[in-house]
Amino acid sequence: MEFYDFHVHSTFSEGKSTLLEIAQRAKLLGFSGICIVNYFSQFEDIEKLKKEVETVRKDVGIEIFIGFEAKNHYELNKLRRLRKSYDVLLVRGGSLNLNRKAVETPEVDILAHPEFGRKDPGLNHVMVKLAAKNDVAIEINFREILVSSKASRQRILHNMATNVMLCKKYGAKVIITSGAFSHWEMRDPKILVCMGCLIGLELSESKNSLSKIPLSIIKKIEERRSKKWIMPGVKVVE
Amino acid sequence: MDNAGSKGGRMKKLKVLPLSLRERKRYVEFQVISEEGEEFTYADLEACIWNVLLDFLGEYGVSKTSFRLIKDLWDEKNQIGIIKCNNRSVQAVVASLGLISRLGDNKITFKILNISGTIKSIKEKRKEIKKR
Repeated sequence: MEFYDFHVHSTFSEGKSTLLEIAQRAKLLGFSGICIVNYFSQFEDIEKLKKEVETVRKDVGIEIFIGFEAKNHYELNKLRRLRKSYDVLLVRGGSLNLNRKAVETPEVDILAHPEFGRKDPGLNHVMVKLAAKNDVAIEINFREILVSSKASRQRILHNMATNVMLCKKYGAKVIITSGAFSHWEMRDPKILVCMGCLIGLELSESKNSLSKIPLSIIKKIEERRSKKWIMPGVKVVE
Repeated sequence: MDNAGSKGGRMKKLKVLPLSLRERKRYVEFQVISEEGEEFTYADLEACIWNVLLDFLGEYGVSKTSFRLIKDLWDEKNQIGIIKCNNRSVQAVVASLGLISRLGDNKITFKILNISGTIKSIKEKRKEIKKR
């Protein structure tokens, strides 16, 4: 089974490890591919990033995708217009308005940690229905569990479990990622699968959230790379 | 006393439970990946895993797992070990391993090599991997 980690930060954004260190660790842990996530402020350096990604991809032999994470409405609108120049669009969850905007936008691939910094899960049944309709995956970020402890960790786990329950009920996609800021925060795919099971996913669903769902995003990336693609739902037919 | 009637004062052993009543067990083979190939002893690792398990699952939760780190199978040179637990709590134990990020002053991470029902099959799988 091929596993993918779709949320890793490198030194290009606010991460502490280089692209090479991350790619080597991902290969060691058994991942087939990763997505290096950057912020809108680094968009000017995209060509430099693409060159380095290509070099590392050849050296290590692992798929590397380029993702951008929108932190607010302005960045999301800008990144939507530039959708063809990168692979994955993530939205940093936490704010209710931004969570809502993310699930309403078909260009968005992943809504990252919707419960980030909140006491509630950050999603309700209406938002999850929209996520299912617009094919937006809801993220379970392992780093949030890793860096928290005691009362805050239990609250995060509870909120994640609520989001998983809603996603299962309304058929929205769930994706498990490490959310790592360093290659030391990356985890074995089996560990991530087991954490998914503890949060409320079935074993097969948990495996799919690291394999099948990232593969469906990769399929969309490939469609987008073709010249016929214009925007979600619109392409040139000959 | 329980062992009063035993020969030579040795503790009297319980009769082994029939197969159908025994707990189903799983063995999890893992490798510790550390900075600059640091080598850890069994005692270091055991204390670290117990701390995290008690922290994450709690005393009651750990009691349900039948957790044991097997001392005889700890390979200090390759940093490979085997954990024994019951089949119902594999996921909780493996997820707990993911929450360990440091051992002393060293950053570490776990790689799960195998999960199996017998030690024999784990050893066979390891041999197969070595052959490849």
